[in-house]
Amino acid sequence: MSEPAGSVRAQSVGKPLIRLEDVHKWFGNLHVLKGVDLTMQQRDVVVVIGPSGGGKSTLLRCVSLLEVPTTGQVWFDNRNITDIRADLNEVRTHIGIVFQAYNLFPHMTALRNVTLALEKVLGLSDDEAHDRAMDQLARVGMGNKASAYPGQLSGGQQQRVAIARALAIEPKVMLFDEVTSALDPELVGEVLEVMIRLAGEGMTMMVVTHEMGFAREVGTRMLFLDEGRIAEEGQPREMFYHPQSDRLRQFLAKVL
Amino acid sequence: MAVREATSIEPEVAPDVRGPTAPLPATILALGVASLAVIALGVVVSQVNYALSDRVLTQNCIDEQISPEDNGAIGVCSIVEALEDPTTTGSLYLGIGLGGLALVLGASTYRRMETKRRRDHAITGAVLGSQAVLLAAAILWFRSASPGLFAKHFLNFADLQGYGGAFVRGARNTLIMAFAGELGGIVIGLVLGILTLSQRRAVRAPARIYINFFRGTPLIWQLATGYFLLLFGFGIRMSGLVVAIIVFALNTGAYAAEVFRAGIQSIERGQMEAARSLGMSYTQAMRYAIVPQAVRRVIPPLMNEFVILIKDTALVVVLGLTATEYDIFTTAREGQSATFNATFFTVAAIAYLIVTLPLIRLVNAAEKRLRSGLVGIAGAGG
Repeated sequence: MSEPAGSVRAQSVGKPLIRLEDVHKWFGNLHVLKGVDLTMQQRDVVVVIGPSGGGKSTLLRCVSLLEVPTTGQVWFDNRNITDIRADLNEVRTHIGIVFQAYNLFPHMTALRNVTLALEKVLGLSDDEAHDRAMDQLARVGMGNKASAYPGQLSGGQQQRVAIARALAIEPKVMLFDEVTSALDPELVGEVLEVMIRLAGEGMTMMVVTHEMGFAREVGTRMLFLDEGRIAEEGQPREMFYHPQSDRLRQFLAKVL
Repeated sequence: MAVREATSIEPEVAPDVRGPTAPLPATILALGVASLAVIALGVVVSQVNYALSDRVLTQNCIDEQISPEDNGAIGVCSIVEALEDPTTTGSLYLGIGLGGLALVLGASTYRRMETKRRRDHAITGAVLGSQAVLLAAAILWFRSASPGLFAKHFLNFADLQGYGGAFVRGARNTLIMAFAGELGGIVIGLVLGILTLSQRRAVRAPARIYINFFRGTPLIWQLATGYFLLLFGFGIRMSGLVVAIIVFALNTGAYAAEVFRAGIQSIERGQMEAARSLGMSYTQAMRYAIVPQAVRRVIPPLMNEFVILIKDTALVVVLGLTATEYDIFTTAREGQSATFNATFFTVAAIAYLIVTLPLIRLVNAAEKRLRSGLVGIAGAGG
């Protein structure tokens, strides 16, 4: 390989950050992704909408390589991360992901949830990890709950800690997989607020969501994923007000 | 077709179909309690009475094959005599009568009791009554066979004098073997359990073969063969106690592996995904995220394995242990073969219970604590 593994952190402004080429995913006999091509630039906030079972989450998980595409390639920062030789552990430190079910470690405090990877993966000292984690927790408004265990926090609070945990490793892109779907309605706002601020700060984001208001206001691009294909893509407002395909029109009629 | 009178302005009330209220819930409960108490009192009082009074070897006992030459014959005789005493007999029949009455009354009336509390009284009374009937019947049955012969062999404590120290040492050895075996088994089991979860068949297969072998062959065979395998096969001469500990560790490891595997599999998939998404390797994710959570969940089943192992250590009786290595059961076996008195085994059972009952309580408490979900929060940090 001409490029050593550690060079990914070298900036590459103007180039596409993520590129998917003809990605297919099969689960046994189930063909979930049927050839997805996608390019994400830096500072893009790509919103993915579509009916359930359409492959939204699978697409997101293929980008973070939690699922390996059956065929096709995923390029991250000009590196083919579907190549068997790619160091996925290293690649994943550049890709933050937040899950619908939070997935905080229940046996650790909020602070420890954040510092763990900083120490064990990035090799920071205890003090450095602590300071960085406290900064990130404060950033999501959870600074005063650093010593609480996940079981003592509300869903919205847990999800904000999960965002802080992902942000702390300083990823180049953040993936959000229906992060408000499991929340009580009154807790959705506090999580969306954090995400809106993050987008405002220029974070590259890919967001699978059912929050159409968020999609319209915050997304710089929107994908409508239907039956494993990108059925339509474009500017969110444009797509909301002038959907081109019947499928998108039907979908929007149901969710709006 | 009945037509309702149109003029009726009375509010309609559903007919009362509850029927008459049954009487006497407290009496039924009292009958049930009394029936059990009468039996227990009658049996215990006459046993104590005979044990404390001047004791002789009666003709009745001699007829029951208790001979004057037997060491402790008089003590055994008083057990038999007390069992056949009119006090005992009377209390047994009285208990059957009271218990039967409680059962009949309770079973026939509990449905018509006015409140839940009274119904519970009636049901409890009936249940206690039936237990009294069964208990008394069992004692009568036992008494009608050869209680003298049984008491002579299993309840004759005279030969046990001087064995106190041996039993204490036996209990110590039993606990040493079980504890060391369990510790070794936990280490082996954790490694094997993780191996069985590998994606690769080449890694899983040896672990599965090991587990199936040790789960599929009798422990008594593993003990006996293990000793000679080490001695003849590998030329290692070790004390029987050490061999036993090694075999117990190997055997418990197979069972603990399944416990750990189940415990790890019970952790939500998202935990592994979250750890990996932060850049942790599989090993790091296991070590920091998955295993610490799994360990909490496997504590009760592992303690349960420990209780089982305490009893299974009795199998070392097949090994040629030296006297200082004897466990509880081998101590009893030695005493029994020296005196032909099986009461040593009765004492052994009591010794096992003294060790296991507190542990069983501890297991139940741990399970309850885990079920209540406290561990997820309060057990953290360590």
